[in-house]
Amino acid sequence: MTAGLRLRGVSLSRGAVTALRGIDLAVPRGELLVVLGPSGAGKSSLLRAIAGLDPVTAGTVAIGGRDVTAQRPGQRNVSMVFQNHSLLPHLTVADNIAFGDRIRGAGHRAAAARAAQAAATVGCQDLLARRPHQLSGGERQRVALARALVREPDVFLLDEPLANLDAELRLRMRTEIRAVHDRLGTTTVYVTHDQSEAMALGDRIAVLRDGRFEQVGTPDEVWRQPRTRHVAAFVGAPGMNLLPGDGPLTLPGGPATGVELGVRPEHVTLGGTPPDPLGEVERVEVLGEDALVHLTVGGHPLLARVPAAARPAPGDRVGIGVAAEHLHVFDTATGERVPQPTAAGRAG
Amino acid sequence: MDRDRRQLLLMLLPYLVGLVALVLLPAVATMAMAFTESDLIATSRFVGLANFVELTRDPAVRAAVGNSLSYLAVSVPLRLVLAVGLALLLHRRARAAGTARVAVLLPGAVPELAYGLMWLWLLNPIQGPVNQLLLLGGEGGRTMFGTLPPQWLTDPEDARAGIVLMSLFTIGETFVIVLTARLALPPEAYELAELEGARAGQVLRRVTLPLLAPVLAVLVLRDTLMSLQASFVPTLVVTGGGPPPYATTYLSLVLYQDAFEYLRYGYAAAVAALMLGLTAVAVLIQWRLLRRWASSGAVGVEVRRPGN
Repeated sequence: MTAGLRLRGVSLSRGAVTALRGIDLAVPRGELLVVLGPSGAGKSSLLRAIAGLDPVTAGTVAIGGRDVTAQRPGQRNVSMVFQNHSLLPHLTVADNIAFGDRIRGAGHRAAAARAAQAAATVGCQDLLARRPHQLSGGERQRVALARALVREPDVFLLDEPLANLDAELRLRMRTEIRAVHDRLGTTTVYVTHDQSEAMALGDRIAVLRDGRFEQVGTPDEVWRQPRTRHVAAFVGAPGMNLLPGDGPLTLPGGPATGVELGVRPEHVTLGGTPPDPLGEVERVEVLGEDALVHLTVGGHPLLARVPAAARPAPGDRVGIGVAAEHLHVFDTATGERVPQPTAAGRAG
Repeated sequence: MDRDRRQLLLMLLPYLVGLVALVLLPAVATMAMAFTESDLIATSRFVGLANFVELTRDPAVRAAVGNSLSYLAVSVPLRLVLAVGLALLLHRRARAAGTARVAVLLPGAVPELAYGLMWLWLLNPIQGPVNQLLLLGGEGGRTMFGTLPPQWLTDPEDARAGIVLMSLFTIGETFVIVLTARLALPPEAYELAELEGARAGQVLRRVTLPLLAPVLAVLVLRDTLMSLQASFVPTLVVTGGGPPPYATTYLSLVLYQDAFEYLRYGYAAAVAALMLGLTAVAVLIQWRLLRRWASSGAVGVEVRRPGN
């Protein structure tokens, strides 16, 4: 694995608040790693620690194989895009993109030429003469991307760059960000709280919670084999249902104590016959092709995602089926995944 | 007129009445009075442009115009530089920063007359602390710079410098506005600069000052508007317009003397008109410079025209 970015035992505290607790992370050169987590998980702190904007309280940060822990942000050759204010309002797009080059002493012409080239990379070459206030939100972030890329950074850090855009634009921009990444191959750490963005963008996803990684893996792994109940509940739209092991759903071997059973809404089938437990339909949300069915089963809430055409009506009592291979088991005490022998058959 | 507008007008009314009765009407009356000879006791007499013609020949007025303009040219930029410098020094949370901020504000809270009297003592050439301080480390009655100590009250140049010096400590309002504006700047702008490896000077020149520029522009205009009046109390209390004949005679002092010492209200009104004209010209020139500066793209001031 070529060294892109390596964090060893990185902790970061600000006053009484501990934002990161012993983070270990290796991002191979050229990878796009998405850091996913709820607000307050420490996502931005992680980026700031990598960039050097906040000094780490323990651990080391290495970029391209060199230890940069003691280096100032300007020496690390990283660039960053923020959620807001990634552009200086008094400069034109061209000057914004050329800002770093000019700071480092490049001539006006050389900087302008490089800026134009970077602008073309992200498709904002027609905006060069404009000022930030004359741009739409999407254009602004596109320019911010160009500004960050012009430096040819060793590590590219994005802190929720699409969070302020409307849904449609967010989808388009994330495709473009992925395309730009594929073209340039810059090692990238992308922070978001939006799990669908993480799934769509990341080569790997690192799920952060309370300053620690709960799981680092490919989108597929994180979705199929969540390592903790928190990952299970956080990833997926909506997240996984979690029910007690001795509740309405049981493992093929019978009720189990001390564990929680997880099942994704997509894997809940409705309309089964006994011995499937019966659930009462509380509410139905139609999402186009699919419908989200809110049920109560043995006093526990349960979500099912079913084809809209086959949806039940509120008040219906329906049998609930889950294939055993779709059951996830978590230790109630630790929240960690309990490995299961792959068993065929139905849970019930 | 819809309900909202009627309500708005109703709420503005007390202010508008006050503005018209206490500011606009007296201003119009003053302008009218400039064409009369009046002592506010006997009947006023219309004299046409005679007061204005006299203005051009009056040695006090001529000296005052020069003094006022040079005061404006020196004091306004110095006050701004000082206020901006202090605001940028003190915007961070640091030990004693709060105390220091209060210290910058306090002189502006002293009543003007008391402030003037205090400076009369401070600038006393023999016992005054300012000269005592300057004499520290100097030998043979010379200052630490080897020069003779300033004669604040008797030398024309020193006296004018003294008036400017006094103005440099009443920058509290400007300071607070710059401080607030600096605190409102997005931290990301500074982090971007830090990531690019910008040095302190580059950050000041390429980030802080351009981002503050719209606020600074307003402050310069405001300070200019005020500055022709600001020199009044100090000159009245500390120098009396001297050393003779007119070393620190500013237009505001001429106006005061003509009106309240010589009871020539018509003539004083003409002086007021002159002050208004000079202020307007100064503001206009600055406005034009700012517009040109802004449209050259050097600062974050947007010059927008209606419909744009």
